[in-house]
Amino acid sequence: MSAAASAAPCRCETLGVSAEAAAILLSFAMRESEAPAVELGTALERITSGLRPLEGAKAGELVTQELAACVRALQFHDRLMQQLAVIRNLLTRLTDHPLPQMGGFGAQRWEELLTMLRARLAEHSHHDLLELLVRTGGVAPGAAAVEAEGTSELF
Amino acid sequence: MARILAVDDSPSMRQLVKLTLSSGGHEVDVATDGVEALLVADKQQFDVVITDVNMPNMDGIALVRELRRRSNYRFTPLLMLTTESTSDRKQQGKEAGATGWLVKPFDPDRLLSIVTKVLT
Repeated sequence: MSAAASAAPCRCETLGVSAEAAAILLSFAMRESEAPAVELGTALERITSGLRPLEGAKAGELVTQELAACVRALQFHDRLMQQLAVIRNLLTRLTDHPLPQMGGFGAQRWEELLTMLRARLAEHSHHDLLELLVRTGGVAPGAAAVEAEGTSELF
Repeated sequence: MARILAVDDSPSMRQLVKLTLSSGGHEVDVATDGVEALLVADKQQFDVVITDVNMPNMDGIALVRELRRRSNYRFTPLLMLTTESTSDRKQQGKEAGATGWLVKPFDPDRLLSIVTKVLT
């Protein structure tokens, strides 16, 4: 084997690192999407309670139909979470390290996980790959990223 | 009006099931998995239990099996509400003692009519 070949990063190791980072990213994204979905459901509950006095009226009936459509449509979130969980579990099988417990998975925990993952990476190329995944995953919630949410800019 | 226990590990699904059944005039309690559901069901009697299948700690099929062992739930309608639709899983549910099997996503009107049907 040539010196160049032996110095090249192991493909399996790279795959493991990618899979682990992707699984963590997925878990974080899933966790983040939970609160907005619950918020939507809560808003629907409030609307339903507010509409009780209208019951029997034609307008109330129409709104009830619309609410039923919202309930049907909102279930996409549950389906999506299940599909993503399957993908996350498949990715976890490719990693050497079991995915850490995701309970209470907030921004701070996310940073902790990334620090642990970075510390284990031996190759420079692995670091580059991880940074690319984190950047394109769009879920790295640094303080600046959180502050930027909802802002707009015109050029 | 019936007292219904809705069991699902997904917070949004729990909320949607509760919203639908409450709008139909039912009183709804929720639990996040089979273990919690058993604790709640032992403290108060429910007229119907609607449960997901895949949940941590105790799944829906094990929950149905456990509930059927209790004399006060022997004849209570126990409905499965799940994304699973294979005949194998349905058979497992039936053997455990489930009254019915509903595949997600559910239609609110259909869920309410099924609840009314199993209560009569």
